Amino acid sequence: MTGPEPAGPPREPAIAPVPETRHAEFKATVLLVLFAATVIGFVLYVLYARGVFESTQKLVLMADDGAGVTVGMDLTFSGFPVGRVQRIELAADGKARIEIDVPRKDAKWLRASSVFTLERSLVGGARLRAFTGNLEDKPLPEGAVRQVLRGDATEELPGLIATMKRLLENLERMSGEDSSLNASLANVRRLTDRMNGPHGALGGILGSEESAGKVIVAIDRANALLASLDGLSGKLERTLARADEKILGADGMVDEARKVAVQLNAVLVDARESLRKVDAVLADAQKISASTTAATEDLASLRAEVEASLRRVSLLIDDVSRRWPFGRDTEVKLP
Amino acid sequence: MALSAVASAWRGLRFGGEALAAALSPATYTPAVRSAVARQVCASAWDVLPGVVLVCGLLSYVVIRIVAETARDYGLSAYALDIFVRSLVLELIPLFISLFVALRSGAALGTEVAMMLARVGAQGTRQADVSALRAQLLPRGIGNAVAVMALTAIGGVVALAVAYVGLYGFSPWGHPAFSRAIGQVFEPLLLAGFALKVSLFALAVGAIPVATSLGSGHELRDVPQAAPRGLVRLFVGLALVETIALAAKYV
Repeated sequence: MTGPEPAGPPREPAIAPVPETRHAEFKATVLLVLFAATVIGFVLYVLYARGVFESTQKLVLMADDGAGVTVGMDLTFSGFPVGRVQRIELAADGKARIEIDVPRKDAKWLRASSVFTLERSLVGGARLRAFTGNLEDKPLPEGAVRQVLRGDATEELPGLIATMKRLLENLERMSGEDSSLNASLANVRRLTDRMNGPHGALGGILGSEESAGKVIVAIDRANALLASLDGLSGKLERTLARADEKILGADGMVDEARKVAVQLNAVLVDARESLRKVDAVLADAQKISASTTAATEDLASLRAEVEASLRRVSLLIDDVSRRWPFGRDTEVKLP
Repeated sequence: MALSAVASAWRGLRFGGEALAAALSPATYTPAVRSAVARQVCASAWDVLPGVVLVCGLLSYVVIRIVAETARDYGLSAYALDIFVRSLVLELIPLFISLFVALRSGAALGTEVAMMLARVGAQGTRQADVSALRAQLLPRGIGNAVAVMALTAIGGVVALAVAYVGLYGFSPWGHPAFSRAIGQVFEPLLLAGFALKVSLFALAVGAIPVATSLGSGHELRDVPQAAPRGLVRLFVGLALVETIALAAKYV
């Protein structure tokens, strides 16, 4: 900054000095300290943010293709970063070797059975993800080497394009001049043309107007047959009404039978009354000849027989009454 | 014309090198120089610190909101802070601070130097006069350079703090994600490159306006052109440094 001094006292070329500031040196010192503290603090924060002060364990992932993986990218578990790629290199077997530092505090999420995937989407960078199905499994050992599975959306594109190409070829075949679809459409058109004929849809379905005419004639004949059947059913109905009158009407067969049964019932009731009177007489006779044991015994047996007969008659009457439907309900129910 | 430009650039580089060597030499910092440096630092940095912090904060808040909303619309929220830091903190704030200090202090200093040279020229130029002038200019150049570095550091930290608030509010739960993003962006090499770039910006702001004025004519009619010419060269120098930094980082 200093050149050779010429002879003679130098003149003092002075530029306008910086305006005086109170406590300038103090303020400058404060600013410099603030500057230094900012720089040092930020560097320390960056080191902390990069995990320099964290205790980590190493995990090695082997991938067929390491494209998209960068140093510093995260390994995520359930969307949360649990590791950071520290180094990528080509292994001796030609695979991509990805070294990941996993903080000890996050290593609990990775187990021996964890699965690791490398996914590349159309938008955004690649993503390394870890999946742990069983959190109770053994912890992932230090320096574990795992194969990484690939989930690449762009890799699906060639297959997708091939499928779409086949689909388009099929569509082209379907829409060709001699395609089945075109033939079907032609058939449909012929069908609709026939349906527009004199016999409508029937002509279209049966294929010719002649067949449709036959069907219409058959329908007319069926209608005539139905009309004659209708008359026949009317006659039959009248015949049935007359039969019903003769069997179930007043003075009909059923009515006469009911009267006979009533008379029989009355006869049997009278017989029961007569036997009851005989029983009473026999009871009196038993009382009178109580002293005569033999006579009494005869009478007792006789009485027992009469009582048995009386019970049989009574049972017969009850049975007749039970079996004879007109004895209980004289109403005749027709279907 | 081309020779003149090359000669001018050489003069600027030479002056910058001499100024840098002097600034790094402890012997330079005599009490008088320290006092002059302190006054210049106060004028260039301390007085404008609140304004710079305010502007950086507002700019950062606006930018982070725009970036965050846009990134969310495209499903790229994870990259919002990355984009913000790479664009604003690493590129725009250093450039903005450098231009601010250059326009506020460098242009005035360049004009003063040109006027002094014109006055000296009118009295007959002597090498001793120019040397003495350089000795007086050194503290002011150092002060401007320190102002650029200090304001850049403080402005960058303010921008990051405002970005955190803009992204996560005042919740402490965004800290792990924020730290991880910062750690991913600021790789050691990038941090060193950033420090070098800001240092070069500071050197350019401290040296180029003065070097340009020292190289201008010693006539009074040369004075009005001295400051604009110095600023233009400073802009070119800053653009050159920025371009090289970007190329080294991304190409």
